[in-house]
Amino acid sequence: MGDLSFVTNWGMFTAILGLAALGGMFSERSGIVNIALEGKMLMAACITALVGGVSGSPILGLSAGLASAVLLSLSHWALTQFYQVDHIVSGMGINLFAYGATNFIALTFIKPEVPNQFLPIPFYFGCLALSIGASWFMFSRMRAGLRLLAVGENPDKARTTGIEPLQVRLWALVLAGILCGLSGSLIVTNSGSFGDNLTAGRGFIALAALILGGWRPLSVALACLAFAAFEAAQIQFQGAPVLGYQLPAAFWKSLPFLITLIAMAGLVGRTKAPSGLGKI
Amino acid sequence: MKPLPLAMRIGILGLTCAIIVLIALMTSGANPAEVMTALLTDTFRSPTAFADTLKRFCPYMILGVAVFWALRAGLFNIGVEGQFLMGGMAGTVVALQIGGLGGVILGALAGTLVGALWALPAAWIRAYRGGHEVISTIMLNMIAFQLSNHLVSGPIMDPEAGFPTTKTLPPESMLSGIQIGDVNVNWALGLGIGIVVAFGWWLRRTVAGYELSVTGANSTAGAFAGIDVRRTTFSALMASGAVAGLGGGLQAVAFEGRFFMGFSTGYGFDALGVAILAGSNPLGIIPSAFAYGLLQQGALAVQTLHVPPGIATLILSLLVILFSAFRYAKVRHSNG
Repeated sequence: MGDLSFVTNWGMFTAILGLAALGGMFSERSGIVNIALEGKMLMAACITALVGGVSGSPILGLSAGLASAVLLSLSHWALTQFYQVDHIVSGMGINLFAYGATNFIALTFIKPEVPNQFLPIPFYFGCLALSIGASWFMFSRMRAGLRLLAVGENPDKARTTGIEPLQVRLWALVLAGILCGLSGSLIVTNSGSFGDNLTAGRGFIALAALILGGWRPLSVALACLAFAAFEAAQIQFQGAPVLGYQLPAAFWKSLPFLITLIAMAGLVGRTKAPSGLGKI
Repeated sequence: MKPLPLAMRIGILGLTCAIIVLIALMTSGANPAEVMTALLTDTFRSPTAFADTLKRFCPYMILGVAVFWALRAGLFNIGVEGQFLMGGMAGTVVALQIGGLGGVILGALAGTLVGALWALPAAWIRAYRGGHEVISTIMLNMIAFQLSNHLVSGPIMDPEAGFPTTKTLPPESMLSGIQIGDVNVNWALGLGIGIVVAFGWWLRRTVAGYELSVTGANSTAGAFAGIDVRRTTFSALMASGAVAGLGGGLQAVAFEGRFFMGFSTGYGFDALGVAILAGSNPLGIIPSAFAYGLLQQGALAVQTLHVPPGIATLILSLLVILFSAFRYAKVRHSNG
């Protein structure tokens, strides 16, 4: 029984992290730094719960949740591309906005007595498998994917070959919004109801997985698999000794971040960021 | 695509932000005017409310300096939250051990030291390994959060308390203040203002401050002029961490008197907004920190009108976005 719950949790966390990290990948490979994964997930989680509950239709709930994440993603696009706001400042502003807005929306509009309506969880596993395959295919075989990579590596050179970076990034951020939205919806589906700061920093773990995976689809998916295992292990081993040692839950929770830090210090295989990241 | 004129672009953004706030106010179920009044004036309602605002004003000011310091070198220290937490925890533990005025001073120093230590990996990775400081400080924040929660619910927890907290410092082991009217003004506030002013002076009047600004503005030009960009980057992040840690230590010995789960209500993240709203002059940190403290006090007050406190965060985030759009546009505009 215990082993089975470990596998279920592992799969769940992999899907949550994987969807968000792939969303971040589309944004960052197109050259837009995205620390706002967390905010998009939080907003989508809140809106999915709200609209799903009020309308009684899980499909409507999910659509509205995805739309809200895409809207935040497009705000990031407009702020960084048109207003030339620093990518970090814009991302931080969006995270803050999502935190404040979801607190406001949840406490004002979500009525606890209205039953929540969610799509079945396997749907999200399908989405994850599809998006890993599709993004791998896109980046290695499709014109659109290669254009996106070109813009991310050097927007000026891409411009001289007739690619419009602004447009490529628009679509990249729409995809980022959809994927982060799916991740947020899965979080609220899994927990059953929305609460303040429900995403609890998972957007940042996804960001760490994205960096550890070197911004490449399959490696990012592997990094998510590893990080999800830590999170599942933390639930599994809570208080129980592992190989004779009593490891606190805080250790398991910190492990993804520690590993990413060590990787950044170049102690285990260095990864290279897209060189056009943050450039206009 | 031809860009719209500056005024029109900023106008569109401002209007959008205003509409969002209006929608929130109209749908909150309370009288919009009452909500705004509560948000903006609750600080001045009573001496207790004013004292609570000052308690937030002080860390906002000091952490604002921490963020500003790194920002001037072109670095985003998202890690002030973690540095503040670690500094607050170290400060409390040291002050509890030593006690008295010595405990206050050593507690603040311990906070400073631990804050700098917590920034060390990020500073080293940025200066010598080329890893982005935003990512490393986010990681360090998460670790600080886990570590401090773990320690305060076990090793350093007061066994008699019903929830994760350390023992409380006796009043004689805390930094006191002077009574002005009904309000106790803690010396930490004077220290905070002193730090802002001293930092502003340092930035404008010393070679090191100038090197910091040059590195932030154009590190290639700085390197040609003989500035050791790596060292400047490294020390800017370390100094930023030290100031943030001092903020944590002071918060512990001057206001809270203990370390507990939830010691920071997100001061470090808000401080990023404080530094951005401060504009280009470090002295701007003082009014911007006060505005943050005031709105956060208002966030508590609107709850009596059954409006969620998130509305204050929502307004602040839009202010930061609007201001940064305006500021970047202005800079680009003046550059031609």
